[in-house]
Amino acid sequence: MSKFSSTAWWLCFMAGAIILQAAVPGLDVLTVGLIILLQERDYKNMLWLLPLFILLQEGMGTRPFGAVIVWYAAVIVLFKMGRWLFEVENFIFVFLLSACLGAAYYAVAWLMAPLQNLPLDVQGTLDRSLIQAIFVPFAWRLLVATRHWNPHDQEN
Amino acid sequence: MTLRRLLLLAGTLLILFLGMYSWNQRTRFLDDLAAKLGLEITGAVLTPIRSAQDTAESMWDRYFDLVSVREENEALKQKVAELEARLLANGEDLAELKRLRALVQLPVDQTWRPLGARVLSGRMGPNAVLDSITISRGYSTGGRPGTPLVTHLGLVGRVLKASAHSSIVLLLTDPSSRIAVFSQETRAPGILVGMGTGQKLEVNFVQRDAKVKPGEILITSGLDGKYPKGIPVAKVLKVAPSDYTQFMAIKADPLVDLQHLEEVLLLEPTGAPRPLDLGEAPKEFIGPPAPKSATP
Repeated sequence: MSKFSSTAWWLCFMAGAIILQAAVPGLDVLTVGLIILLQERDYKNMLWLLPLFILLQEGMGTRPFGAVIVWYAAVIVLFKMGRWLFEVENFIFVFLLSACLGAAYYAVAWLMAPLQNLPLDVQGTLDRSLIQAIFVPFAWRLLVATRHWNPHDQEN
Repeated sequence: MTLRRLLLLAGTLLILFLGMYSWNQRTRFLDDLAAKLGLEITGAVLTPIRSAQDTAESMWDRYFDLVSVREENEALKQKVAELEARLLANGEDLAELKRLRALVQLPVDQTWRPLGARVLSGRMGPNAVLDSITISRGYSTGGRPGTPLVTHLGLVGRVLKASAHSSIVLLLTDPSSRIAVFSQETRAPGILVGMGTGQKLEVNFVQRDAKVKPGEILITSGLDGKYPKGIPVAKVLKVAPSDYTQFMAIKADPLVDLQHLEEVLLLEPTGAPRPLDLGEAPKEFIGPPAPKSATP
């Protein structure tokens, strides 16, 4: 993927993520982008995309600044731990990772609620973490397909 | 990487995070940055999408309107006749209200200016834990933090944080929302507390001797300084003496359907001082001549 098309892909991804997040309350679509960045070891793009992801999520959220950093740190740590055991391009790996992310989603909410003096909606948080866990593998599969899709290959 | 190095790295990162967190709690620098940048980008993406959605919906609606226009026309005619009858019935009350208002010279509150705004979305992202919506006005277009929001039915909430052209609104159903209210008829004061999405609201600190009845409307009292006085907020559902406190336990339902909001009105403070002058001094009473014994 050229530099221009890669940047365009990421911008489209972010716009799509914002629209989807507006439709599904509590869902984090940008996590899938972070997983793709980690899988591709694209640290150059991660340098500007990760702070932008954090600012976007913190900006559209209602919690004081900090929870998204913990959440994305959990995503990175879980991914790195999984890399020791599995092949990262494998669907099963992403499926297991998303299950762990669902648990991490709840854990971050539980951890940050007393720190930020906010009530924890147990049922609502459980529902949202379940939606997050179910969403990640399918979105990842779809996004990876669009990233690897090349019209010239199709013509040949 | 050895375990020792890993632990050292994790500890350093934790200390850095806690340092950043407490620094931000004091300065609010990162919160402001995220609101100005993140929320602004979100608003910029959602505003054209919402406009396109509205255009498509209105075209679709127009098509269906044409299909069912005859049927709707009949229903509307019937409704007009019904409303005319009701207007006639209420005409006398309205005239009386006008007379009474003129009599007491009720000051019209000019300290708030209504501004229309479009609802862009509900709560968004993993960080949106409060019951909130995003609207299409920010601090440069009338949506400063603290600005109250209403619809024609009643109160919605107030602006929690804002970027230049978008803002996030805390709804009155959120558990952290507190609103000073009166019951409209019995004028019993209380504090309206949100209990979460889809839950009934609670009114706290209403005295036991208050004669609040189910069905009564709760209006803002303006005593908290956050909301203008007299905005309808909720309808009382249930009133009973509390088992745990010395006050009444009152449940209420919001007047506005907060799950299906499309447009709202922001009440922007104009900065004009609230008129305290209740009119001229009453004219000298001219009655029958005083008896001679009373004159000096």
